Amino acid sequence: MTSHEARLCGLLLREHFGEVVEKVGTHLLRSGAQHLRAIVHESGIPLDLVKKSLCVLVQHGLCSFSSGRKGPGSPMEYQTSPDRILRILRYPRYIYTTKTLYGDTGELIVEELLQRGHMTMSNTVKTVADRLTQNMEGQKTMEYSEVSSSFSKLVETHFLQRCPPSALTAKKENPSPADSGAPAAAASIVPLKPESFSDCYTVPRVTLVGRGKRPLPAEDEGEQRSAKRAKLDSEVHGDEGIYWQVNVERFHLYFRDQAIISAVANKLDQTCSEIVRTMLRMSELTTSPSATCTKPLSANEIFRSLPTGYNIGRPILDQYLTLLVDDPMEFVGKAGESGGGMFVVNLHKSLANLARATIESSVQERFGSRSARIFRLLLRKRHLEQKQVEDFAMIPAKEAKDMLYTLLSQNLVQLQEIPKTADYAPSRTFYLYTVNQLPTARMLLQNCYKTVANLIDRRMFETKESKRLLEKSQRIEAILASLQASGAEPEQLTEVEEMITPSEKQQLDSYATQLDETIFLLESYISSTAVSS
Amino acid sequence: MMASRGRGRRSFNVDSVGLSRESLPSALLQPSPVFPVMEMKPLPLTGGEEVEYLLALKQDLRGTMRNLPYYIQSAVTHSDVERYSDKYHISETCDLLDWNTDWRRFPRELRRSFRKPVRIGVSDGATLQHKKDRDKEEVLLKLENLEKNEKEQSSEEEEGGGAQEEQEEEPEEELEEETDYIMSYFDNGEDFEGESDDNMDEAVY
Repeated sequence: MTSHEARLCGLLLREHFGEVVEKVGTHLLRSGAQHLRAIVHESGIPLDLVKKSLCVLVQHGLCSFSSGRKGPGSPMEYQTSPDRILRILRYPRYIYTTKTLYGDTGELIVEELLQRGHMTMSNTVKTVADRLTQNMEGQKTMEYSEVSSSFSKLVETHFLQRCPPSALTAKKENPSPADSGAPAAAASIVPLKPESFSDCYTVPRVTLVGRGKRPLPAEDEGEQRSAKRAKLDSEVHGDEGIYWQVNVERFHLYFRDQAIISAVANKLDQTCSEIVRTMLRMSELTTSPSATCTKPLSANEIFRSLPTGYNIGRPILDQYLTLLVDDPMEFVGKAGESGGGMFVVNLHKSLANLARATIESSVQERFGSRSARIFRLLLRKRHLEQKQVEDFAMIPAKEAKDMLYTLLSQNLVQLQEIPKTADYAPSRTFYLYTVNQLPTARMLLQNCYKTVANLIDRRMFETKESKRLLEKSQRIEAILASLQASGAEPEQLTEVEEMITPSEKQQLDSYATQLDETIFLLESYISSTAVSS
Repeated sequence: MMASRGRGRRSFNVDSVGLSRESLPSALLQPSPVFPVMEMKPLPLTGGEEVEYLLALKQDLRGTMRNLPYYIQSAVTHSDVERYSDKYHISETCDLLDWNTDWRRFPRELRRSFRKPVRIGVSDGATLQHKKDRDKEEVLLKLENLEKNEKEQSSEEEEGGGAQEEQEEEPEEELEEETDYIMSYFDNGEDFEGESDDNMDEAVY
């Protein structure tokens, strides 16, 4: 975890959960696993606030607890990881993706789950049905069954998953003589991974009959009474203790697939991208998340599974597949000849190539196209001497030297010394320029984190500034509205409007969102290489 | 070697490397500017429907999360006048959080924190009265051992204590401020045990 990541996590926690949770969260990030008393002592925050913050963090899955290092009897230790907190940046993207795939119902389900961390299915269905009913025109209401079916669809495609059963509940079921204090045979509490739970994706049988409720303006008392009854009724549905959460890894796989498909569409052809999309869809549930490439698919299978709109003949499909295989970006590879040719989508290679393209484009935008040419050259040729760089890139010596040194000072290019003699004399050593893709990607990723943190900071600053101006303008407008006789008003109004620029805040927000796409790509590439190496 | 002998020294010999004195960049006399001028301007934002929708989603999400019970305000209330409604604001949010979650999923030590605010809300009048009586008795006991003029003071404080029972916290604060002593210098040892039960101690000095 780096300082940029820590700072960004702190800002994200502050925006969504308040300053207290930010302080507790950053303290946990910096100090690793700690138990409650240590947190209170070191951070100086009062005990009850620390407890509340930890509850909030655990509720949202940002913090995990396990029994301490000294064995089962020691106090609980709490731990956060920066990865999970950084996902908060991506929440709008998850919601939007669900909207494109499953419509408004799915969107609201995912939004509710993201806002509240863990929820039971019945609670989610009721809340979403109520929200949808509010937005429907006339007196129409939303059936619970429709929302339940959307929920089940989301679970089938693994976008939602069950929270693993808390190890605490298992402990409680064993009758233990001592209520407080650790019994001798206490099992140590270890956070379970959701996948290790066999019923991870099974929807429980829930009795949910009804429709969404519209908030009634009249009959306040009646509503309060029914609200109280509703609280009591919530015990009736058959899914107590079964909590659901959003499966962010699945969303990431989906984003990765989308990135590959759009890259193919940009580089080659719409039809090629449809073929790749079909291949990915067929191997969605059979490919493990960390696989290097999808399972081999025969050309016959692909031909059968193509969407009905695409009436391409079999030989044409073969030609497209050959094109894809021969493409230097290596999206698709050939794995055999049976069944008319076995094809795989090279996931890790595609990610590496996409990351490389991202880095190249960032160099181009920062330093110009000639520096980008040198950079690309070094990426392909690995190690080059200065003279060779000048020759291959066809750039005059002085400028090439200048550009290389600029890239070197920004740490995008490294220098490798190869001595001819044992004493490293400068006149008798080879100096080779080289680019290492993985460390460069990491560096760029840290830059992205720093940028997003700066953007959030700036946006909060602008909001604070304009909040004062907005309040001032509201007061001014109230005064102006009351004195509409004299003619100086419109001028003052325009002056006030010029002072506030909410569009700037929106721009900052969009920048942050766009940056998140780059962050996602680079993170995927790095995690894919981490797994393979 | 000669590399790090102190400031102002170079790690190489200017003549032997073959450079001239002027071609070296000038020494830095101040930190580099915070916002240096960029030669290449960044690309503009991509527009489009998707981006705008994402933006709206983001702002919505932030707004709604602010209103959820998971958004914890810091405990410090900077109000110049302590309002009656402040007490009910805080306990309201705690109650919401209490209602929503399944406490079996949380470690035991975290669960205890949420019984306290409920207790405050429920048994407010009774314990407050009780505490005030107790404090008043302590004050009287202390003052009984003093001389006559201080006995007069004690009767004034008794009346002050009586007034406190009717109203809530504000007059008590005024009473505290009226004394000549600097309250922050007074350490009555209550903070020693840390956060014990019943955070609602109104210590009468």
